[in-house]
Amino acid sequence: MSLEIALSGLKRYRLRTALSLFGLAIGVGCVLVTVAIGSGAHRSIQDQIRAAGLNVILVKAGNYKSRGDETIEVQAPHARLAPLFDRILKALSPDVLAHPENDPMEKHDHPTAAERLGDAEAGLGAAATLTQEDADAIADLPGVADVASGVHENAKVFAGERRWFTRLHGTDVDLPRIRRAHALSAGRFFSEHELRRAEQVVVLGSVVRDKLFAPEADPVGEEVTLWNQSFRVVGVTGSANWMTPGAVGDDEFDAVYVPFTAVHRLLNVTNLNTITVTAESTGEVSKVAAAVTELLRARHRIADTAPDDFTVVTQASEVLTKGLHPNVARVLAGNLPNLERVTLEELSMTLERSSRTMMALLVSIALVSLLVGGIGIGNVMLLSVTERTREIGVRLSVGARARDVGTQFFLEALLLGAVGGVAGVVLGIAFSRIVSESFGWTTSLSPGVVVVSYGIAVAIGVVAGFFPARRAAGLDPIEALRYE
Amino acid sequence: MAKISVLDLKKTYAVGEVQVEALRGVSLEIEDGEFVAVIGPSGSGKSTLMHILGCLDRPTSGRYLLGEKDVSEISPDERASLRNRQIGFVFQSFNLLPRTPAVENVELPLLYNGGRLSRSQRRSRALEMLASLGLSDRALHRPNQLSGGQQQRVAIARALVNSPGLLLADEPTGNLDSQTSREIMDLFRRLNAERGLTLVVITHERNIAECASRIIELRDGRVESDGPVGAA
Repeated sequence: MSLEIALSGLKRYRLRTALSLFGLAIGVGCVLVTVAIGSGAHRSIQDQIRAAGLNVILVKAGNYKSRGDETIEVQAPHARLAPLFDRILKALSPDVLAHPENDPMEKHDHPTAAERLGDAEAGLGAAATLTQEDADAIADLPGVADVASGVHENAKVFAGERRWFTRLHGTDVDLPRIRRAHALSAGRFFSEHELRRAEQVVVLGSVVRDKLFAPEADPVGEEVTLWNQSFRVVGVTGSANWMTPGAVGDDEFDAVYVPFTAVHRLLNVTNLNTITVTAESTGEVSKVAAAVTELLRARHRIADTAPDDFTVVTQASEVLTKGLHPNVARVLAGNLPNLERVTLEELSMTLERSSRTMMALLVSIALVSLLVGGIGIGNVMLLSVTERTREIGVRLSVGARARDVGTQFFLEALLLGAVGGVAGVVLGIAFSRIVSESFGWTTSLSPGVVVVSYGIAVAIGVVAGFFPARRAAGLDPIEALRYE
Repeated sequence: MAKISVLDLKKTYAVGEVQVEALRGVSLEIEDGEFVAVIGPSGSGKSTLMHILGCLDRPTSGRYLLGEKDVSEISPDERASLRNRQIGFVFQSFNLLPRTPAVENVELPLLYNGGRLSRSQRRSRALEMLASLGLSDRALHRPNQLSGGQQQRVAIARALVNSPGLLLADEPTGNLDSQTSREIMDLFRRLNAERGLTLVVITHERNIAECASRIIELRDGRVESDGPVGAA
């Protein structure tokens, strides 16, 4: 009965009902869209920071910083004996690291990769002092999460008439786990099986994909040509983050990824240019980096006084030593374990602070939107208060109790809030979708946010619609009838 | 048995800073089935008296007995129930719900009588009521599509739909032309005669008042004269 009265009340004032619903829907919609965009941005900043690779350690072959004249302090207890060991080991296995084509600048007495493959660029830049065995040994170190071997080349990639000169990364199946900023937009990464069999499969970076294939084409399953060899495309990798899309020459998305074993087989080399390592925890990066250094020095039988024949770079050291003279940088890097702890702590504090600021910003924007929505609804409701107070007077005069009138207006307001809220939620979600699809912005809406804004919409409806009416219902009928 | 009995009724309003004494001690009795006209110049307190009699307003002091019940002391809900079941009220300005068809306006009191009637029962009661007042063909018209006389008849139908024993009309002809006024007063007389309805009608027109059987004249919040028609 009360519901019937409430519905007929809403029906009688169609325009006002529509306006209230509209106001509520816009209010709730606005809140949801701002929160969606805001928390999307928040999340993508966090992703970006995480993706920046705070826990990544890059081991590069060769050591271009030191020219061998610097002294490196190594606190090994066997320091004095090491040169002796070194000499003995070298004597026992003189060519343990040698491989026919590991140095492309060397004169060879056999056809080189470039000659065999008929591609002048093949095999250039493959100079390397790291091996897969090094990578396997690193993987066994404590605190190491993932290890990916890397062989890096430049290569022309052909797809039909189109071609593109890009970076070629021979790599490991672990790479997607290390590169958090990557997201496969099509297909998959190559498999362990394909890696073991050195199959000619390739994952295209998004930039390469765009250069080689029409936007509507599906490159997965297509063949591309590298070094005059046919490679099957198994996937496309792009940026997981709308704020850092791939760009020409960026080495990540303007690149192709193939199993490093395939590169080894085709170029007839065995060595690696890089080994990418991730530490299990960000706080242990320096410790792991030091362990890697020690391990590789031992494996490469480097004398205590001799410089590394590889370079270990951590994100932190790279940031901290950027632009410094190599000597200064080395001193700095030597003290990195302490420095890093401080930096990381500061960084995480900064992160937390900035995300708190972001959240505060979000919440205030959302509150303002709600306030605007609420004022809109309140106005529509209050504008009609004269008319409705007279209605209340009429109802009271024919025998309605204050309670009956209260129930009627409560139900009217509740219905408005509920329906308007649903419309707002639908509107908000739809608009967030549109925003994320047409601008490529990350948006994120948690169910909690939806529920809370819905609840607030209903509450606003009830407050704006019900309380003035309840006050009027408490009047003597004649006062309500006389209200102007 | 006295249907209405008021004793030394006083009502004081606060209009801004000023206290206005609308009723300064009114005592009167109206018997069951009487047709009484209340006349008096504006400001004489006749509307105030009527609102108190209709339980739309409360007196500042004095006693009001309706039947044998002391109405001046009862709760708001009980007064609502009296307004619903025992008293019909007709206003000068009709006070119909705007944008609402005539039949729904007439149904209104039935919505608040404890939910004893189904939707279709309410509708047929309201339609019967409209038919008895000659408004069958106007049932679905909204107030703004009806003439003044028709609106007032819809209001009377609403006042009568719960079969009250008492009908109070505050200047029912005030907004109507003389032809329509006469029709409305004829209707009142018929209701009084045929159904034994107790009727109290306010008017400031002597010729309208003379349709009643008794005239009470108020002046400055007091009863100035009280007697059968023709006596004054």
